[in-house]
Amino acid sequence: MKRNVLVVGIVVIVIALLGLAGWANWQNRKQAAVKLQVEQAKAVLVPDNASPNGLSMHSPLVGKPAPAFTLTNLKGEEVSLASYKGKAVQLNFWATWCAPCKIETPWLVELQKQYAPQGFEILAVSFDDLDKEDKTLLAKEKVDIAKSAQKLGISYPVLLDGDSISKPYGDVEVFPTSFFLDRNGTIVATSAGLTSKDELESNIRKALGEGK
Amino acid sequence: MFTKGSAAVCIVLFLAALNPATLPLRAQASDSGASSHKATAKTLAVSYLFPEQVTVVADKPTPIDLHFKVAPGLHVNSHTPHTEDLVPTTLKLPETSGVRLAHAIFPPGADFAFPADPAEKLSVYTGEFIIHAELVATKGDHLVEATLKYQACDNQICMPPHSIPVTIDVIAK
Repeated sequence: MKRNVLVVGIVVIVIALLGLAGWANWQNRKQAAVKLQVEQAKAVLVPDNASPNGLSMHSPLVGKPAPAFTLTNLKGEEVSLASYKGKAVQLNFWATWCAPCKIETPWLVELQKQYAPQGFEILAVSFDDLDKEDKTLLAKEKVDIAKSAQKLGISYPVLLDGDSISKPYGDVEVFPTSFFLDRNGTIVATSAGLTSKDELESNIRKALGEGK
Repeated sequence: MFTKGSAAVCIVLFLAALNPATLPLRAQASDSGASSHKATAKTLAVSYLFPEQVTVVADKPTPIDLHFKVAPGLHVNSHTPHTEDLVPTTLKLPETSGVRLAHAIFPPGADFAFPADPAEKLSVYTGEFIIHAELVATKGDHLVEATLKYQACDNQICMPPHSIPVTIDVIAK
C-alpha cells in the first residue's frame, strides 16, 4: 500500500515537473520566435561579390524567360511585354512612396537616354495601390502617380497595377527591384534595393549583350 | 522487478518524449525560419508593445500611451513626413467599437538621409516610439482593434505600406 502511494507520488511529481519544463520551454520558444521574427524583419540583401557597390537579388528567374504580362500605362493604353521583343528591357518595379526609388530614377532616366539608340527600353512598373472599386479615388491615384513620374522626369512608359504581376516575378516585395531582360526576353540580371548607377549600367550592358 | 509503479513511470517518460513542448528549441526555430525574409519584412517592421488593457472614465477623454517598436535596421515615416507622397504613420480606431480616438499626439520624427542622397532629409521613427492617444469610451468593456499604418524602409529598400492591429481592452467605468 505504502509502496503504491510512493509510486503514485513519484508519478505525480514527474508529471508536474514535465508540465513545468514544458511551460518554461514554451515561453522560451515564444521569446525566441519573436526574436527570430525581428531578425527576419531586416530584409537581408546579399552583396554581390562581382560588384562591390551593388546589391544583387539571387533570383531563380535569372536565365529564364521573363513572365509575360499586359498592363495599362498612364494614358490608359495596354502595354505588353511581348511587344518589346528584340529590345533589351529593364523592368523597374517602383512606387511613389519609395524614397530609394527617387534616388535611382534620375540615373535610370540618363541611362535610358544613353542606351536607347542601342535598343534599350525601361518599363517603370508602379506598385502604388489602386482602388479599382472607387472610380473617383482611382482617378486621383492615377493622377498622383503621373505627377510623381513627371516630377522625377520619367520619360519612359509607366505601367500601373504592378502588384497584379508580382507573383510570376517571385513576389516582388522590396523596392526598387529591377529585372534586366535581353533581346530574347530572357532575364539576365536582377537587382533589389538601391544600388549604384554603375551597377545599373553594368546590368543594362549585360541585357544588351555587351557585358559579362 | 518490473512493477506496476515502474511501468507507470516508464509510460509517463515515454509520453513526455512525445510532448512537442519539450522538443529542442532549435528545431522549432528553424521551422519558423522557413518563411521568406521578404514576407516577414512586410508584416513585422513594427510591433505593438503595450498596453493591452486600460481602464478609463466612461464618456470622458482619457489619455493613454501606446508603445511601438520598429525592428532594428528599419525606419518608418513619422506622422508628418517632409513630402506628401511619403506614407505617414497613422492610427485609426474602428467607428463601431464604442471607443473613439479623440486626439492623438505623435512624436516628432528624427531626420534620416539615405547614404546615397545625404542632402534629402526624411522624418522617421526608429527604435521605440509612443503615441499619446486620448480615448473616449462608452460605459462597458470594449475589445478595440485599432490599426497602425506605416511604411518601412532600411538603408536601401522600401517595403509597401502595411497595417498592424493594435488591440486594446478598454474598460470604461
